Amino acid sequence: MELQKVILNLLQFWGEQGCLVQQPYDLEVGAGTMHPETFLRVLGPEPYRVAYVQPSRRPADARFGENPLRLGKHLQLQVILKPSPVNVQELFLDSLKALGIDPAVHDVRFEEDNWESPTLGAWGVGWQVLLDGMEITQFTYFQQAGGVDLKPISAEITYGLERIAMFLQKKTSIYEVEWGSGVTYGAVRHREEVELSRYAFAQADVELLRRHFEDWEREGFRCLEPDDPLVIPALEAALKMSHLFNMLDARGAISTTERVAIIGRVRKLAVATAKAYLKQREQAGWPLLPGGKA
Amino acid sequence: MAAVARGKGMRGMFLLELLCEEIPANALPSAREQLASQVSQALAEVGVVPSLLQVFSTCRRLALWMEGLPPATPERVEEVLGPPAAVAFAPDGSVTRAGEGFARAQGVAVEQLRVVETPKGKVVAAQRRTAGEPLPQVLGRILPHLIASLHFPKTMRWGEGEFVFVRPLHRLVALWGEGALNQVVPISLFGIRAGSATLGHRVVHPGEVQLLGIGSLQDYLQRLRAAGVEVDPQQRRQVFEQRAAALASEVGCQVRPDAELVAQHVELVEQPGLVRGALDSAWLALPEVVVATTLRHHQKCLMLEQDGRLAPYFLAVCDRPDDPQGHVRQGNQWVAEARLADAHFFYFQDLKTPLRDLAAKLRHVAFHTQRGSFAEKAERTGALALLMAQSLGLGHLAEPLRMASQLAKADLVSHMVGEFPELQGVMGGLYAKEEGYPEEVWRAIAEQYLPLGQEGAIPQSLTGALLGVADRLDTLAALFSVGEIPSGSKDPYALRRHAFGVVRICGEFPLALPLPDLAAWACQPFGGAGVNELRLFLRERERFFLEWQGVPTPVAEAILAARWGQVAEDWALARALAELWQEPVFVQLATAFKRVRNMVSKEGEGQWAPEVLQEVAEHQLASAVLEAEQALRTHCAQKAWREAWQVLAGLAEPLDRFFVEVLVMCPEPALRQARLGLLARIQALFLQLADLSKLQAAN
Repeated sequence: MELQKVILNLLQFWGEQGCLVQQPYDLEVGAGTMHPETFLRVLGPEPYRVAYVQPSRRPADARFGENPLRLGKHLQLQVILKPSPVNVQELFLDSLKALGIDPAVHDVRFEEDNWESPTLGAWGVGWQVLLDGMEITQFTYFQQAGGVDLKPISAEITYGLERIAMFLQKKTSIYEVEWGSGVTYGAVRHREEVELSRYAFAQADVELLRRHFEDWEREGFRCLEPDDPLVIPALEAALKMSHLFNMLDARGAISTTERVAIIGRVRKLAVATAKAYLKQREQAGWPLLPGGKA
Repeated sequence: MAAVARGKGMRGMFLLELLCEEIPANALPSAREQLASQVSQALAEVGVVPSLLQVFSTCRRLALWMEGLPPATPERVEEVLGPPAAVAFAPDGSVTRAGEGFARAQGVAVEQLRVVETPKGKVVAAQRRTAGEPLPQVLGRILPHLIASLHFPKTMRWGEGEFVFVRPLHRLVALWGEGALNQVVPISLFGIRAGSATLGHRVVHPGEVQLLGIGSLQDYLQRLRAAGVEVDPQQRRQVFEQRAAALASEVGCQVRPDAELVAQHVELVEQPGLVRGALDSAWLALPEVVVATTLRHHQKCLMLEQDGRLAPYFLAVCDRPDDPQGHVRQGNQWVAEARLADAHFFYFQDLKTPLRDLAAKLRHVAFHTQRGSFAEKAERTGALALLMAQSLGLGHLAEPLRMASQLAKADLVSHMVGEFPELQGVMGGLYAKEEGYPEEVWRAIAEQYLPLGQEGAIPQSLTGALLGVADRLDTLAALFSVGEIPSGSKDPYALRRHAFGVVRICGEFPLALPLPDLAAWACQPFGGAGVNELRLFLRERERFFLEWQGVPTPVAEAILAARWGQVAEDWALARALAELWQEPVFVQLATAFKRVRNMVSKEGEGQWAPEVLQEVAEHQLASAVLEAEQALRTHCAQKAWREAWQVLAGLAEPLDRFFVEVLVMCPEPALRQARLGLLARIQALFLQLADLSKLQAAN
């Protein structure tokens, strides 16, 4: 199955399960979790269901396009079901059928794998889902986000799209995966991986990255100062800080001791943003609650 | 006192099954133990002991089976104390209103009130009888709370977020019956009400499985087996082992033993399945440990071997009995190939960078916030290893040790160890070998973390042993010097394990290095801070080591009360004493020595003056002591510990005779001092080996 067919089928499937089909967030992020459609929507009592693809950047994982399995930027397909339904595992297994995988003739196992994002003040409990030994999905029950205990609990399903496509096509290199219409993943993205790697590891201006980190930190908190705070801009500032931190890290510019402090600074803004969002939604009367104002 | 209803002849049986989403493998063994012990304890408290109680589990369920249960708890008879007799009874013996009130409250007739003596005087008492409670009712009362308070390493909430448990609960079966399970015990847990049906295996038998009417444990196990679930972990282990052996022998191989991994496999599935995958033999060009660790780490694969060499096959676990279209084998094989390609990439990537360059990066890797980087640690470790080598007269190892300690932690910044932390040391050793460093160097790097667990093998090379001890001692000293000293269950840096490693290597390799000196050397870079605490800590680990090696506790106590720190010698001495200590002569000696110690500690050490002594018995003892001193010197020099103990045993007779015939605390001061001096000399002689008075209490 072509990569684009994997995307289309999964979005189609989850759309039919009542998910809004959203678009990727238009900023550099490390994971689909950072998209406000996840990070903010899981907060508070309002139910929500959403699915989207999110290009996710992990500069330190970049390998100059030389490693057949590692990318500095990969595609996640993220699903949020809030509250987590009783049949969430069954829904997930059904989604595999949309990929042409019949669980009845495969081995599907849910192995413990918990998730934690210190920069977002978030953690969850869950599994990696193994299909015939291949990790195809990360499955998480969010317990906390932005330092806030969540209630209700959201289920997050994150499909690693390149891996799934590789597995379905039985390719040994990501770059050989067929994206669609006879064009390979390598033809679309290889040069980009090379350049992003070179930039992240050798070229990026450390001083500029540090300066921007400070700038966005100030800017983020400034957005939260008004009585009617600007939540989305504040979150965007936190996301930029997070990406700048990842860039500095790939550049080898962050010592072990400094790391904890820097992560703490991003988390502080993320936590403040989460609180501001909750207040804003509460003041609006939780519009998406049944019987709410939406 | 409650009577106990023993299970024999009782026909009551009970089944509990919790069907959850996949429970983490590491939570299950403890959950089974807790469930078994807490249920039997809770039942014992109400006087019920089942004839059989067994717990089972799969990755999706926890189950409890009990049989030989009584229909109800036994009647309880308790004596309840009431008001003072003088209040309950009028002087004429009639019952007062207070007495009547107490009788009424206890549900007994006034005639049944009795008067009993208590420390507070005479009070009125009543026997209160509580009727037995039907067992289903008892179970329904006990279980919900008991299950909800089982302890798990990590718990979670789900859905509306009201409940906390290890994973969401989907079904609850609670069935009771006499002769057969025919009654649902109406409990509910996390919003789920108990029923009589469970679900089968997710893929093999996705439907309901009715459990009503089950007449025996075998019946339950069979019904689940028919639904694709092997609920008995023991049985799963057996199936795994048989299948693994069969799959290996089909290709003329054996399974490389890995008990820890098989134990994990048992907890990961409902149905024990294994598939064999084949590897492109090109991968076997990678070091064996890289291949095996890659597949074990990511896919929990068992490896096959042929004549002790890794064979190009692996066994992957799966949660189904079969592989109808070959997808499971193909999938695992594909993943294995991809993982090995990845490892191959990292391995050859690492080989491009000399270890020396990797080691240079350690300047930026913090070992501890207050104790600097790994580069600084390497300097200290090197200096310490050098001191140790010199003290052992191994000056020729100075250069290899210096080199090894500088490179020892370089692999921490390699790609391979970044991916597979469990390969620390191993990769460094491989890379050093590839780069052509001398064997003393690469072996030291490869063996520095040995022993891995408590039981693991210790280093085989001298440089490995020295580096391993020096590295651990530096870690201990660095952390002790900033007050990071383990207490109780708090030992975040696993310092007990580090110290135990030091003691084991010194004792077993052996290295004749006194632990007190080692502690002092290791603490020196930190101005000696923490050295006393570190010595005590190492001494405690030596005690643990001796007992772990099977030395009886009193023997270990006796030795360590007199000496410690030369682990190999202390241990040999302890082994020799362990064979002798229960013989009558040592029992006699322990008592006599206790007297010696008491007297010397109370009356002082007197003065050694044999010419002042008068009695035959004391002259005999004095000359026996001098001979014993001579003999002991010889035996200790030859490390002939059994003979050394026999020398002390030879003093039992003269010592006993001395105590019978001689009055130590005689009136003449000079004589008294001489007698005390004799005893002090005996004490000093004994304490070269042990404080035998510690054996006394035990014998």
